Amino acid sequence: MKRIVPILAYTAAALTIVAVILSPFVLMGWFVRGVAALGLRTDPVYSGGEAAYAIPKSGYRIIVNRPVVPKSLLRAGPTFVQIAWEPASALPARIGDEVDVDHDGRPDLVARFAVPRDRTAQLQADVTSLSPRVASMRGIARQSFTSAIVRVGDRIVLRVPLADLKRPMGP
Amino acid sequence: MDTETGHPGGVQGSPPFKQCHPNAPRSIPRSLLLTLPMFLWASLMFSRAFAARTAAPKIAALVTLVFTVSLFFLMMRTRRTYKWRRVFFVALGFLFPVGFIASLVALRGSMSIPIDQMIAGDTPFCFLAIPMMIVPAALTRTLIFPGSILPTASNPYAIAAMVALWLTATIVLGKGWCSFACFFGGLEEGFAAIRRKAVIRDIHPSLRLVPWGVLAGIVLLSAATLEPTYCSWLCPFKAVTEFSEIRSAQTALQFGIFSTLFAGLVVVLPVLTRKRTQCTFLCPFGAFQSLFNKTSIFDIRVDRERCADCVTLCSGACPTLSMNPQSIAAGGTLMSCMKCGACVDVCKKGAAVWHVKGTPLSVRPETARLLYLYAAWGFATMFGGSIIANSVETIIGFFA
Repeated sequence: MKRIVPILAYTAAALTIVAVILSPFVLMGWFVRGVAALGLRTDPVYSGGEAAYAIPKSGYRIIVNRPVVPKSLLRAGPTFVQIAWEPASALPARIGDEVDVDHDGRPDLVARFAVPRDRTAQLQADVTSLSPRVASMRGIARQSFTSAIVRVGDRIVLRVPLADLKRPMGP
Repeated sequence: MDTETGHPGGVQGSPPFKQCHPNAPRSIPRSLLLTLPMFLWASLMFSRAFAARTAAPKIAALVTLVFTVSLFFLMMRTRRTYKWRRVFFVALGFLFPVGFIASLVALRGSMSIPIDQMIAGDTPFCFLAIPMMIVPAALTRTLIFPGSILPTASNPYAIAAMVALWLTATIVLGKGWCSFACFFGGLEEGFAAIRRKAVIRDIHPSLRLVPWGVLAGIVLLSAATLEPTYCSWLCPFKAVTEFSEIRSAQTALQFGIFSTLFAGLVVVLPVLTRKRTQCTFLCPFGAFQSLFNKTSIFDIRVDRERCADCVTLCSGACPTLSMNPQSIAAGGTLMSCMKCGACVDVCKKGAAVWHVKGTPLSVRPETARLLYLYAAWGFATMFGGSIIANSVETIIGFFA
């Protein structure tokens, strides 16, 4: 036993060198796949949540995500919904679309914004409420994760805070 | 008798100093032979850059290869670790912001990260966020960081890739990550090396417990707010990497905190104390990483047979207050030891030694050092070397 433990210890130490040699070729790939296989996802406050349904329009479509309810204990942010217009390159110069955020067949808001050809130009949107779920808002730009309009790749993403959470969502 | 060190293997009692002192230079041919594997490894790591069509990546790779291999040769030749590791580490610390900031400016025209990039999942992941993400991931199965999980064209520094890199380093180095891989620590170490003598010498030992408090605090707060609290409010390195776009009083306050902590803990206090003060008194990731010293096969031990109980030399040399009279009496370092080698190099009696756990103390400490250095320097060349090469390429591009 006195001899085996040091042999095992030196073997383990030598294996750290093997681990370094293998890391860029094998280990890193395994670990990346391992982390990905955990089934974790980015917090929906950042990612905007999962797509719920799409509204086809002429030449483009609107993707409405499921509402995101921040689950934080200490930071009670408002529930919001992410709505995306894509492809941004096919959008008309001005958007004025009614959107049904809870998929009940009745529009909840009208979103209006200009689509500048300059991809770096600052976007600004106005939201008119058509239901108690949404409050009218003017001049939405890049205020916060729950109230913003930004370009993400070839999409224009609008985030609108929601209210009236007691009413069930969906048809 | 160990021919490398002169240590009488397994013999009880302390040999004369001349016999046991590990700092007698190694012969040049033998040093070159020991450096050869590292040269081959570095050549392999930079082979892609050497195959590039333009000159800048090739020159940058060549400079980095010569730099890392030369330092390894000097470690072999002089048998000293800390001094040469510090050269690499400081270069890494000061060059990382150059390359990183240049890439941010090229990508988005500024160091600040706008909200659209966060929504797009394009925030490069930083390993400092790892301890804060574990509890929320376990509770909600979500990662509280505005980045993508798998690498994308617009964000190669995705969460899974960086976690994988950290995991590899942790298996290999334990807390050695903090002295061979952390691109932030090099900044402090550089500032700590400016003065020859410390102005502030009396540092209350209990202050080194603060990172544990910060770690506990940010883990709990991050779980409660589902936000990477340390990144949002306390990380001093945001001042030299990236930070949220300043669009409100809150983001302005956050940037003020980052800058103040950076100036105080990364610049001023290291100069005055010659210690890595941010690592010692704040960094929660360092505290978290200390836990992995328990799983690492390597550690630093103090051979009580040889120790002259002078205490001040090794504990005074430690940049993170990881040695004190109690730990020396117990024959080792505190849990926060980042295996930088400062105590080993400074000990005149050869009592502080590199050690492989489970092996007899002071039998072949140079073998333990070599095993550790091949692993640590191999990782440093792969990870830090690529960062240095990238930054050197940026500098060449700037002047070309």
